[in-house]
Amino acid sequence: MSEALLAAAEAPPAAELAFDRLYRASRDDVFAYVASLLGDRAAAEEVTAAAFERAYRKRSRFDPRRGEPRAWLFGIARNAALDELRRRGRQAELSAEPADLAAELEESAERSERRLAVATALAALAPRERELIALKFFAGLSNAEIAAVTGVSESNAGTKLHRAVTKLREACDGAL
Amino acid sequence: MERYSHDPLAEALRELRPTPRPEFAAELDRRAAAGFPPPEEPHGAPARSRIRRLVARLAAVPPRRVALPAGGLAVAAAVVAAVAVMSYESEPQQPPLGGRGDAEAGIHESALRPNVNPDGAAQSADRIAQAAGTPPKVEEFWEAQRAEGRSGDHLRASGESPGAGSPDAKFHAFSEKAPSASATLAPASRGGVAAQTRNRDIERSAELTLATDPAGVGDAASQVFDAVHAQRGIVLRSSTREGEAGEAGAYFELLIPSGRLGDALAALSEVAEVRSRREATADITAPTITVGERLQDSRARIDGLLAQLADADTEAEREAVERELRGERRRAAFLRSRLARLNRRANFARVSVRIETGAPSSSAGGGWGVGEALGDAGRILTVAAGVALIGLAILGPIALIALLAWLAHRAWLRRARQRTLG
Repeated sequence: MSEALLAAAEAPPAAELAFDRLYRASRDDVFAYVASLLGDRAAAEEVTAAAFERAYRKRSRFDPRRGEPRAWLFGIARNAALDELRRRGRQAELSAEPADLAAELEESAERSERRLAVATALAALAPRERELIALKFFAGLSNAEIAAVTGVSESNAGTKLHRAVTKLREACDGAL
Repeated sequence: MERYSHDPLAEALRELRPTPRPEFAAELDRRAAAGFPPPEEPHGAPARSRIRRLVARLAAVPPRRVALPAGGLAVAAAVVAAVAVMSYESEPQQPPLGGRGDAEAGIHESALRPNVNPDGAAQSADRIAQAAGTPPKVEEFWEAQRAEGRSGDHLRASGESPGAGSPDAKFHAFSEKAPSASATLAPASRGGVAAQTRNRDIERSAELTLATDPAGVGDAASQVFDAVHAQRGIVLRSSTREGEAGEAGAYFELLIPSGRLGDALAALSEVAEVRSRREATADITAPTITVGERLQDSRARIDGLLAQLADADTEAEREAVERELRGERRRAAFLRSRLARLNRRANFARVSVRIETGAPSSSAGGGWGVGEALGDAGRILTVAAGVALIGLAILGPIALIALLAWLAHRAWLRRARQRTLG
């Protein structure tokens, strides 16, 4: 009995456990999203770490009645990434670094060509459309979560996402 | 992502998904496990970065955690301010007793100071008397008393009412008969007194309650007489009672020269323990000047009627002038009496001294009980509410401006981030 009490006393509080679960489930997704916005891996690492630190400090202020934890986390990451872009005086970019592509040259030429076509088509999209693609396919957010992050309605988010995917598909026509 | 789960485009996009370096991921995992400790400040780190981290930490604090200590601090500040205001208000600044209001009390303080000197009682009358070249009435009175062989020792009375031979009655008669100094003022100088804003006719009064044991009443009464005599005052009325505590006591009604009132009260306060002391002033300059001017006019009319009487040709004219002359003289006598009373009120302060024995009565104002405690508590709450209201009036607009500025900043930041996306 006393050991159980001791274990309970030593166990981290529920909020700590919840944040830990959120961190582990979202770490790579947040990095992928931030990297796609900044187009700079080093800056993406800094912003990702800053976003998680900021979320950790504000974890007690999160109200579950106002939205999902992932949407809340990605909102923080989005603001951190946009602030970094503003600080650099650059607009959002979405591109794969040449090193990533070069590493894939060892794969089949067909696959490399497809990736290049998709990357080129992605780069041709408007920044907002690229962000929606990144939130959906890089971060794995649902339409409702995307709507919460971008500050639009769920139906609006779904419509805009569909248009972005359609444009991307048309631009990649033949390569896929 | 179920809609795009089997989409070649989705698969291609997933292949483009950036992934973190293993070293970065491990470092981030370590920091997350440690609760994101703040990085160690390198030696000589700029203060700006430290301030930025401090601001970030403060911004991360939930509002309710700030509201509680801030609210407590505000309440403590309000209490301190209330105590400070209460301490200021509790300083002895007693309002005047009776009097005829602020309009007449007016500049009584500034008027009193120039008149406070050992011969202050004469100064009030001097303002008019010296202008007319006549000696002050107070000195004349004492000279007359000494000439009659009466000294201050005869003022020790016990239970006597003022009779015809008492100093009070004699002073009244002396004041009535003595020519009013204002009546001899030349018309040209009539405006001189009124123009002297420093010289005002101020009626002063005081109430003093002393406490002693029953055996000490007689000695205290004797000391009161001595103090009055030392200040050239007059005991209008006095009474003493012997008995047990609460029954024994004494009461005095005194006239003290106005300029010596302070010294007299100081001397009387040393007779026994002071339970209460109250002073009051009233400015009677306006009625004094008015009555003086009316008396001058009456005398001028009397002179004119006397001249008419000398020029009267017939008996009927003579009777008419004499009839009018009698009326005017009665009026002059009435005005003279009024002026003398006004001058007496200005020259002499009425002081009542009560000697009590036994426990102080609450009605005398010396006790402190539940009623007084409730009154004090009410005053404290009133002052605290006033301080809080003033604080809100000051901080409210500031807080509103700060809130609007914060909202504007957030809106601007939101728009700036949106513009970043193009």
